Amino acid sequence: MRARVAVVGTGRTPYSRIKPGEPVLTVDEYIAWAAELALEHAGMSKSDFDGQALGVAHAEASHTVNWSAATAENLGINPSTLIRADQGGASASAMLIRAAALIEAGVVERALIVGADTPLTIPSIAPGLPLSPERTRGVFWDFQGPFGVMGANAQFALIQARYAHQYGLAAEQLGKIAVATRYHASLNPAALFRKPITVDEYVNSKPLSDPIRLLDCVPIVNGGLAYVVTRADSARAITDRPAYLLGFGEANNYAHGSRTRPDVTVTGFVQAAPKAFAMAGVRPADVDAFEPYDDYPIIVLMSLEDWGFCAKGEGGRFVDEHDLRCSGDFPLSTDGGQLSGGQPGGAIGGFMPLIEAVSQVRGEAGERQVKDARIVASCGFGGIPYGRPGRSCVSLIFGNEG
Amino acid sequence: MADTPLHKPLPEITDLTRPFWAAAKARRFVLQKCPKCATFNFYPKPWCVECGARGLEWVDARPAGTVYSVTVSRTIGMNYPGWSAELPIVMCMIDLDDGARMYGQLTDCAPADARIGMRVAVHFVDISDEAAIPKFRPLA
Repeated sequence: MRARVAVVGTGRTPYSRIKPGEPVLTVDEYIAWAAELALEHAGMSKSDFDGQALGVAHAEASHTVNWSAATAENLGINPSTLIRADQGGASASAMLIRAAALIEAGVVERALIVGADTPLTIPSIAPGLPLSPERTRGVFWDFQGPFGVMGANAQFALIQARYAHQYGLAAEQLGKIAVATRYHASLNPAALFRKPITVDEYVNSKPLSDPIRLLDCVPIVNGGLAYVVTRADSARAITDRPAYLLGFGEANNYAHGSRTRPDVTVTGFVQAAPKAFAMAGVRPADVDAFEPYDDYPIIVLMSLEDWGFCAKGEGGRFVDEHDLRCSGDFPLSTDGGQLSGGQPGGAIGGFMPLIEAVSQVRGEAGERQVKDARIVASCGFGGIPYGRPGRSCVSLIFGNEG
Repeated sequence: MADTPLHKPLPEITDLTRPFWAAAKARRFVLQKCPKCATFNFYPKPWCVECGARGLEWVDARPAGTVYSVTVSRTIGMNYPGWSAELPIVMCMIDLDDGARMYGQLTDCAPADARIGMRVAVHFVDISDEAAIPKFRPLA
């Protein structure tokens, strides 16, 4: 499956924090806007997807039971195939794998993949909090919310505390990740928070759920993203700079060591990444930039280890020893990530690392372009299982040559 | 899920989960045990996550465990405003002596004294006429 498909267009709408006076767009409007940008980028129109595939990421905003088909209706597209992912922050990456398999099998030649969410304007169980009815129903919530688990901050704090207990971890090491991310945001006009920060500011930011601090957390926004993927041979006719999908791997519901009492410091990337590297025929040392799913710096650190960029427990030292800037020896989260760029809901932020990886291998990343970026890896990471990190882990490796 | 937005959330009690809440109300700590492979499952599952056997049985479990990880929550994050009055909350992952792992609030312990590896025991706090929640306190 190496280099059999390529991404030939991407779109990311401006993000909104719903400041007074800003228009409040619906999920459907954001999807159409992101699709318009991706189609323009690819030099295509929506009619190019009649008889092809349309992929739609599950959003937290309320929607119909036939969400992907309703999206086709709203967009006026007549697809032969619908792809639907409900894998949270892994949805965008998982749909690229689904599209690649359908294209390889000859079912379709190309796919338009869209996602948007409006977490700041969804109905909330608790006014003023991003607590949708979707998050607060079912047995999974019933054994967390009433027990006093304070959402993702507490869930990831428990993972971070355990990691620090097993391996040792300095706040400054996670701070360096947050600082590098913000530096890249300062170079990216589309990022939400662009004022550079220091490690001291990270360390001294407000504690929310020890050891998670304010500057560990993604800012939530409304927005939409989209991309176009085609068969590799037709990609060359569309653009002279296709972003080839060289390799992929996926792991769902990975539990390290034991299902009922797993080691929570290890993610499913230990299964997904080796598959992606093997398919791509490259090694970790060949990667020119790494685009993790950076909802929290601890997840970035664990991803570095589980992808094999360093040994387990060595992530802190790896961060210390490398220059994480786009001009450095290990460019990380080169668009500013979600940490500084904004997260359009947990389900849709997962488009961002994929789209940035594509931008980098196409040489379209502007001031934050990594020089001679040939091989770029990106992560999908979705859902928080009970007492573990990441229900779905997707590893993608892109290259500028097929 | 009862709609009590200004208070702490209450569970939506179903036939699957009622034995847990009712036992807690009666000050008994029960978990689902697999009749085939003896694995303790938590949170309540439709079949055993180890062997796939249906018909998990609610049995009395040892009400004690060891702190696997701990956080001190200083904001309610994505939970109900009703928790605000109790902040900071010491929240743990507890490795139960019978084998499952559970989120549990640690009480009767100063936040600075909470440690991974601490031995803890269950106690119960009523949250409604139908349900109580297991919480944990340090074992002397």
